[in-house]
Amino acid sequence: MLRTAVRNVLAHKARLVMTVLAVCLGVAFASGTLVFADSAAAAYRAAASRNFADIAVTVTAQQAPAGAAADQPDSVLDDVLARRLAAVPGVAAVRPSVDGWAALNAADGTPLRVRPGANPAAAYVPGPDGKDRRYPLTAGRAPAGGDEIAVDSGTAAAGHLHVGDSVTLATDGPAMTMRLVGIVTTTDTQVIAGGTLVLFDRATAQQLFATSGHYTAIDLSAAAGTGQSELARRVAAVIPPDRAEVTTAAARAAQQAVYVSTLTRGYQKMPMVFAGIALFIGSFLVINTFTMLVTRRTREIALLRAIGASRRQVVRSVLVEAVLVGLAASAAGFVLGLGIAAVLPGLLSTGGELLPDGPLVVGPRPVLAALGVGVGVTVLAAWLPARKAARVAPVEALRTAQQPPADRFRIRAVAGLALLTPGVVLLVPLTGAKDASEGNLRSAMLGCGVLVLALIVLAPLLAVPAIRLIGRLTGRSGITGHLAQQNALRDPRRTAATAATLLVSTALVTGLTVIGNSTGQALDRQASAGLGAEYVISTRTTTTGVDPAAVQRVTQTAGVRAASAVADSVLFIGGRVRDISGVDPDSVNDVMKLDFLSGSAKDLGPGRIAVSSTIARENGLSTGSQVDATIGRSQTFAKYTVVGVYQDNPTAHDALGARTEVQQDGFLPHSVQRILVRTDPGSVSPATEDRLRAAVGHNPLLKVQDRPALVREAAGTMGNLLTLMYGLLAIGVVIAGLGIVNTLAISVAERTREIGVLRAIGMDRAGVRRMIRLEAVTVAGFGTLLGLAGGLFGAWAVGALANGAVKQYSLALPWGTLLLVCLLSLAVGALAAAVPARRAAALKPLEAVAET
Amino acid sequence: MTTVPLTPYPPNPAPGIAAATTDLTKVYGGGDTRVVALDRVSIGFRESEFTAIMGPSGCGKSTLMHCAAGLDTPTSGSVRIGTTELGALRDRPLTRLRRDRIGFVFQAFNLLPTLTALENITLPLSIAGRHPDQQWLDRVVSMVGLSGRLDHRPAQLSGGQQQRVAVARALASRPAIIFGDEPTGNLDSRSGAEVLGFLRDSVRELGQTVVMVTHDPVAAGYADRVVFLSDGRLVDEMTRPTPDRILDVMKRFDTRARTS
Repeated sequence: MLRTAVRNVLAHKARLVMTVLAVCLGVAFASGTLVFADSAAAAYRAAASRNFADIAVTVTAQQAPAGAAADQPDSVLDDVLARRLAAVPGVAAVRPSVDGWAALNAADGTPLRVRPGANPAAAYVPGPDGKDRRYPLTAGRAPAGGDEIAVDSGTAAAGHLHVGDSVTLATDGPAMTMRLVGIVTTTDTQVIAGGTLVLFDRATAQQLFATSGHYTAIDLSAAAGTGQSELARRVAAVIPPDRAEVTTAAARAAQQAVYVSTLTRGYQKMPMVFAGIALFIGSFLVINTFTMLVTRRTREIALLRAIGASRRQVVRSVLVEAVLVGLAASAAGFVLGLGIAAVLPGLLSTGGELLPDGPLVVGPRPVLAALGVGVGVTVLAAWLPARKAARVAPVEALRTAQQPPADRFRIRAVAGLALLTPGVVLLVPLTGAKDASEGNLRSAMLGCGVLVLALIVLAPLLAVPAIRLIGRLTGRSGITGHLAQQNALRDPRRTAATAATLLVSTALVTGLTVIGNSTGQALDRQASAGLGAEYVISTRTTTTGVDPAAVQRVTQTAGVRAASAVADSVLFIGGRVRDISGVDPDSVNDVMKLDFLSGSAKDLGPGRIAVSSTIARENGLSTGSQVDATIGRSQTFAKYTVVGVYQDNPTAHDALGARTEVQQDGFLPHSVQRILVRTDPGSVSPATEDRLRAAVGHNPLLKVQDRPALVREAAGTMGNLLTLMYGLLAIGVVIAGLGIVNTLAISVAERTREIGVLRAIGMDRAGVRRMIRLEAVTVAGFGTLLGLAGGLFGAWAVGALANGAVKQYSLALPWGTLLLVCLLSLAVGALAAAVPARRAAALKPLEAVAET
Repeated sequence: MTTVPLTPYPPNPAPGIAAATTDLTKVYGGGDTRVVALDRVSIGFRESEFTAIMGPSGCGKSTLMHCAAGLDTPTSGSVRIGTTELGALRDRPLTRLRRDRIGFVFQAFNLLPTLTALENITLPLSIAGRHPDQQWLDRVVSMVGLSGRLDHRPAQLSGGQQQRVAVARALASRPAIIFGDEPTGNLDSRSGAEVLGFLRDSVRELGQTVVMVTHDPVAAGYADRVVFLSDGRLVDEMTRPTPDRILDVMKRFDTRARTS
């Protein structure tokens, strides 16, 4: 039987090509994703890891305990300790370091590669030979004075910086201008993977990142024969116990591994969704192809049965065929996957968040996944047709006419409705849902999944009325349209299975486009609702601050009417971490549009906060109630009085407090994170924006954004999701196209004689082509119609959840996009028909009489 | 009675000849596998005449019909339908000629399973985008006795009924000539006799021209004229045939084939 299976695969090469392609796409995404994830993890590991190569242990300062005497020096890591450590037996070398972060501008004044964790800064600490072994100089000299820096060669090249240039940079406060005096090379993977490195001289670095005369860490390398833990024990005996701690390189590496894996996990999900969808859709194609192959071979299989093949042998022969197809698809898909893995970083980096670069890492996981997924899906999908093949009675071999497959419509209807009901039951109550709670989200996902399944099961039943409806349009093109419609209706199950691909992708895209569009509009309304200011100047993280002096400069900028500083911090309330904004109670109403449900911002002050309606609901608060909470770094709970409850507002965050109080325990004490700028009427312009940038000293750590930029940022996640969905549509459309080509090619082959008759009695080639094309468009139209209906229903039901998360959400249909989706689907139908139509048109009229 | 052509073809200058072949040769393959299916066959089919082409299997009778009907292209020689030379025609005008001037009745009925009997009958007209001549259609339908079954799909009809639909389809557009390829090959003798009767009636009563390929002497007995083909050549001809006389001629071929 193996030989029969192999022969069959070879005999139906052309027919199986589409199946192989479809499975191949799915496999490509699955394995590509895994390769990408592995590579990204490796790159991240490289980016996030310091080279511990010849470091055995590291001594760092311990956080001063709360309430420690203020006159104590901030750190004990000084030259004295370094000398003492050098004397510890087993220490080969001592390398004190001063590490911190510094962002800098490129030559054109724009921030250069600024993102969290990618902009290390350090001190150039010369060794006994006057050079720092970690940073070999390639040009210029080492920084020596307080206004000199060196950067690594990659940074210099990316920012077009040359020795002698003035460079604007910032560590956590105001922007500084320093002179670039040297270029170094570095092995620091954080930098190589797309970051920047700034080196200061020792005194400057100590001033910026520690205190004068102190280091942030002292690295020790061990002499031969001394283990890390042994050395750590000896060092621990030397250092002041409460003021410094010692960590082995191994422990730090382990810590780092955990951190890196949490970072990279997210990058695996998105392409995995692609892969899942591609395989799900692709499996329809496999089922369809194998069903058609089995139907065509009914007589052959019956003959095998008649001459004594057992059912099991027939099943096995079909499955072996599937395994062969799956293997071919997996191999091709894996190669394609490597290509996807190579281009994915570029695609995913477009959102501003740069992914670190790194070589492709191909582990055993993607190889196994490719094989498992490709062969598994194909074999599973071929299982049903195989069972059907086994049921072929030997007597079929003697029958001449091919019976149209009898579908058990009643069972299908019952099963479809049995799926549809829970889908609708799950979704409809959501329209009244108040928020996007996890339970609601889960039932939304489940409901949508079940709904799609129900649609797929019911599709053959819906095909007849839907295609009749479409036939009203195609029927206008006379007999060809009529024939096309009839052909599409001939085997509703096959038509439905072909259309299923488009159904799934159209439903997904429709649903998400509608939700995305609605959310986008809501965000837009919201931004204008919550924000009274025209510009927002903000830091990139809450642990950096705007130079307080800048507020004054911003206020004096031409065109600015008012500027109000906001300190951002976190509020630990009700067991959760929330965002709190510290504002000036007097000027907050100038720059924020706060809609107070009760109370007012006037009463904000030490110990008195206002909360958003969501926080109020979650914690059962109302104006006048008392609540235990902590702000920022503070460790002790304090009682706060709620003086007001306002409508959720993205500008005001979850809670409002008095700025002085929020700043007190901020991560960067006495700093502000945002300046909201109200301009004079009509002075929103690029010139004003430039002046504002100048007012904050072109600080690379700060963003100056107008309202559209803020909305874009807020919509970021949704925007990414939509991009993802259009990607999905693309895959869905490609696979749907393959499916239509496949089905049409097979039905053209089955209808050779009919087409021959049509040609003989006078239909010209153009007519035959038009007929096949119309059939394809009809099938595509059916899938699109059903998908559109399902997607719109889902968007209507699930949209209410967004209503909970996003204020002022209302269903807004993106007509243009929906129309585009429909046209695209129909175009795919027409395009897919091209090859089968040409093949049909090339059939000679003689075929009608010759083939018996 | 005579038919009034609906098509804009010029009137036939050589009245009486609906279709003709001149030195028609068809060769399949080449080298060692070269097979001469037709060897310089020249024959004319007169208007309002029922002609049967006979001969043993492989004599080239089907090839002759396919070439004469514009379904196959000859290796050399010429084919004429009315005054139109087929050899000069590209696919589209050839298709149009088949649609407007030729009717077909196939052995395997070859109806479109998705269309009703009536839709099948008017299919060539629908393809041409013309409305059927209702009077003519009614006459054809009632002649083949399908009036009660026009809404049925082919699968709901018996073989004989299906072939009657096929005959009606061939007649519906009033072609200049109808070609039948073993039209009774798949039918039992009673249904076969009915179909042959309709073909003969269409010649007698409607003035149609019919050319039919068959190997059945009884079927050929319905024709006005029988031509005999052997090894790709015209070897004999008979007017007003009877099955017995045809059988005699056929037997002669058999003995000749056996002795040679």
